[in-house]
Amino acid sequence: MNNRSGLLSTISAILLFLVLASLSILLVVENGVVQRFRILGTARDIQAWGWTRTSNISSFFNLRKENERLVAENLLLQQQLARYQTAARQLDSAAFRVEPDFSYLSATIVKNTVDRQHNHLIIDRGSKDGVEPGLGVVTARGVVGIIGAVGDHYAYVISVLGTGQTVSAKLAGSGAFGPMTWPGIRPDRMLLQEIPVHIQAAPGDTVLTSGYSTIYPPDIPVGSVVSAKVSQGSSQELDVALFEDFRTLHNVYVVRNNHQPEIEELYEQVP
Amino acid sequence: MNKSHSILFFVLVFLLQLAISNYVNLGPWITISLIPFLILQLPVQRTPHVALLSAFGLGLLLDWLSAGVLGLNAFAAVMTAAPHCLLYRRLLNNDRYEETRILRLRDIGFSKYFHYLLILTAIYLAAYILLDCVSVRPIGFILVKFVASTLASTALGLLLAYAFQRRS
Repeated sequence: MNNRSGLLSTISAILLFLVLASLSILLVVENGVVQRFRILGTARDIQAWGWTRTSNISSFFNLRKENERLVAENLLLQQQLARYQTAARQLDSAAFRVEPDFSYLSATIVKNTVDRQHNHLIIDRGSKDGVEPGLGVVTARGVVGIIGAVGDHYAYVISVLGTGQTVSAKLAGSGAFGPMTWPGIRPDRMLLQEIPVHIQAAPGDTVLTSGYSTIYPPDIPVGSVVSAKVSQGSSQELDVALFEDFRTLHNVYVVRNNHQPEIEELYEQVP
Repeated sequence: MNKSHSILFFVLVFLLQLAISNYVNLGPWITISLIPFLILQLPVQRTPHVALLSAFGLGLLLDWLSAGVLGLNAFAAVMTAAPHCLLYRRLLNNDRYEETRILRLRDIGFSKYFHYLLILTAIYLAAYILLDCVSVRPIGFILVKFVASTLASTALGLLLAYAFQRRS
């Protein structure tokens, strides 16, 4: 019984000592500026030491998982690198970017005319880049022309801004299509012809490439309808404001229809 | 020395400590502390709780009245009171422990009293100086201050004990 009370007394004395010592330290921290920074700094050091040790231990036990994660990440990066390297090689060798039906090759215009009846452009891609006569030249905002002649490093482009040049186009809403030509007056306007009179074409309607030729991809937005008038009593002629500004044109894409040989072969089979 | 005399002596020594803390400037090398001597005057019973609480209160009162860093003397006093309670039993046999509640010079003799006071003073000043100076002052300064302060404080405590506790 005495031993038990003695043990309790000792424990309570130790607890009292700890409480009083802690209270004193707290008072010093609260009231002594130097002691506050020193004691709190020491506490932070001890805390940081503990965190470092526990972090090291947990890192050691997570090494296997971390290694697996790094291997997976490395594989992913290697795959991405291979893709970028392939793309870079394609760009360096001026190879075509593969799309389902059309291939594209970027080009820069080195000469351009818009003030003549038969305008033309010179681009910095030639036969060594795979460019051939008859390929289309487009941008994201319209059609530009057709490759007319090819040198080793440059190509001559017959601009759509030329009297006699025709682009097959359609109205976005109805899908009615017809030849679009340049009347030779303004470089920002073309005429969409042979639209049936029963088709309602309102100002602002979008005009797209029809895709019915083997040269230009379908659904490239070309311009918007400004006005419409009946021509020769049986069809409409739509005045179209072009989206692309030919006077500031700089970068274009040479486009190749990957199925063009097959289509032409079909034409040849028909008597 | 009866109980009232003991209390009066305790208060006078505390006032002396207060005067030393507030009005006596011995420079940065020496800190005179009579708190360990006062802790020796605290009655130690079977349980050390009263001694611990009294030491804490004593140190806190000195901190407050001497406009020092509150808690500094209180911490050192608690650190001193704890070993005092442990050492007290070893110093006296059980019979004398029962009857002697306050450790006096006449009870245990000069040598034991000197060593006992020296140990308590050293503990007190170690706690006090470390908390006050460590990482702020160089270690050489701390050691010199500790030794000088311990010797000076112990000497003053012995002088007081010799003067007032030599005879009953």
